[in-house]
Amino acid sequence: MLPLPPGGLLHLLLLAAIAALAGGLAAVERKGAFQFMVSRPLVLAPVLGWLLGDARGGLLLGVPLELLFLGGVNLGGSLPDNESLLAGALTAMVVPAGMAAGTGVDAPLAAIGLALLFPLAMFGRRLERASEYRNGQLMESAVVRAAHGDPLAARVNLRGLLLPFGAAAGICALAVMVSPLLAYLRAGSGEGALWALEGSWHAVWAIAAACSIRAIRDHRAPAIAAISAAGAIAAALIVGVFS
Amino acid sequence: MSIPAAAVAQGARRVSNGGLARVFLRSLFLQAAWNPRGMQNVGFADAIGPALAELYPDPGDRARAVARHLEFFNCHPYMAAAIVGGAVRLEERVASGELPAQSVSSFKTALGPPFAALGDGFFWLALRPTAALAAAVTEPFIGLGCVLVFLGLYNSVHLAARVWLFAVGYLRGEGVVDAIARAHFASSTPLLKACGAVLAGALAARSVLAAGLPDRPFHALLVASTIVGAAALLPRVGVTRAVYAALLVGLALGARFF
Repeated sequence: MLPLPPGGLLHLLLLAAIAALAGGLAAVERKGAFQFMVSRPLVLAPVLGWLLGDARGGLLLGVPLELLFLGGVNLGGSLPDNESLLAGALTAMVVPAGMAAGTGVDAPLAAIGLALLFPLAMFGRRLERASEYRNGQLMESAVVRAAHGDPLAARVNLRGLLLPFGAAAGICALAVMVSPLLAYLRAGSGEGALWALEGSWHAVWAIAAACSIRAIRDHRAPAIAAISAAGAIAAALIVGVFS
Repeated sequence: MSIPAAAVAQGARRVSNGGLARVFLRSLFLQAAWNPRGMQNVGFADAIGPALAELYPDPGDRARAVARHLEFFNCHPYMAAAIVGGAVRLEERVASGELPAQSVSSFKTALGPPFAALGDGFFWLALRPTAALAAAVTEPFIGLGCVLVFLGLYNSVHLAARVWLFAVGYLRGEGVVDAIARAHFASSTPLLKACGAVLAGALAARSVLAAGLPDRPFHALLVASTIVGAAALLPRVGVTRAVYAALLVGLALGARFF
């Protein structure tokens, strides 16, 4: 029997519905509407974690994800990896798994989840491209309608939000539904495996820190970051010695 | 086509405040139907719709105006607010017969690319990374409050800029270029990036310290080497490969295979 969240299957279904709604809205907010950065991993993961029952667990996932994708920028027609889809699906899978396993979100769960779902970031980019081609059809219909004298031709604009919403909602709901498998993996891991997975998560954090330096696209950034890091480490050591 | 800023500013206002507010709100959905051929064209035509409804009571005239705005348009989504505002101003003059319809198109075409470059550099490449790094650095001290740090830092600048750009675009028309030049978007970008680099360094220090200084210097050295090596190799390796390599190496180290 796979481990389930405390409320059983009904609870799992409720969490899937919540994750679908939040993930879908985040997909819309990411590019199509507002762009208040609510869909960034740093915000989406803790907010979705809170909705699912573990905000701190969401934050544990959101901060390194944010740093990993800090340099991804949507310039003109170029598309970066879809960090929001990954953040939504990862939170939707790991938080309920932590509840089911009784451990909460911890480094081993986060590492397994990330290893399983990381390709979603690239899949999300393909999904976005497909959505853009669908929007091309919407544009053509708007042009034809305007040429035929329809003053409301451009109102098709909002229909462009449907595909990103639906796709992300479905993926996030699915992530919740497979979370018991992740909880099963976590519960079945021995002490050695847990140590190893914890090591993996620390290594991901190191890559995230490197990504954050690369994200500052300025030739002075590495030197400034190195000086800042050395200063911060020295200060921390001095404070540690005198305290 | 060059339109004297003063002439634009002196034109009589014909779109109501409610209409302008609706245009601004719809401009928040500028990229809803982003497509490779027209880019933000559908969003732009939809955004300016409430103004066109007031300026062209005849549905046929309005449909022709909408069709004009379905031409190719691309800009940074925030900076586009200035162009949307300016286009409303010019449409008022087109509707009253003071300007040819082509003037709106020329205005959009001329300002889209430079404003896009300005917005990309300031918002995407400087403000967003710096705000996110500030939040990540403060996370160990304030926990979930770091989310508010990020949203507060970013949106206090972004929302104010978006409202101001729309207002100044509408009030000054083509003169918006001068107003934006005085707003120091370009000159503050290097300063923001420098702040971001300082914060990125602090974050790297946090990773090294968390790995075990001062009790486990070997762990700390390992993490520091990984950060330096990854920072150098990332452009060639890519984030995906780096993450999987890190997961595997971490797994091996954690399992004490080495």
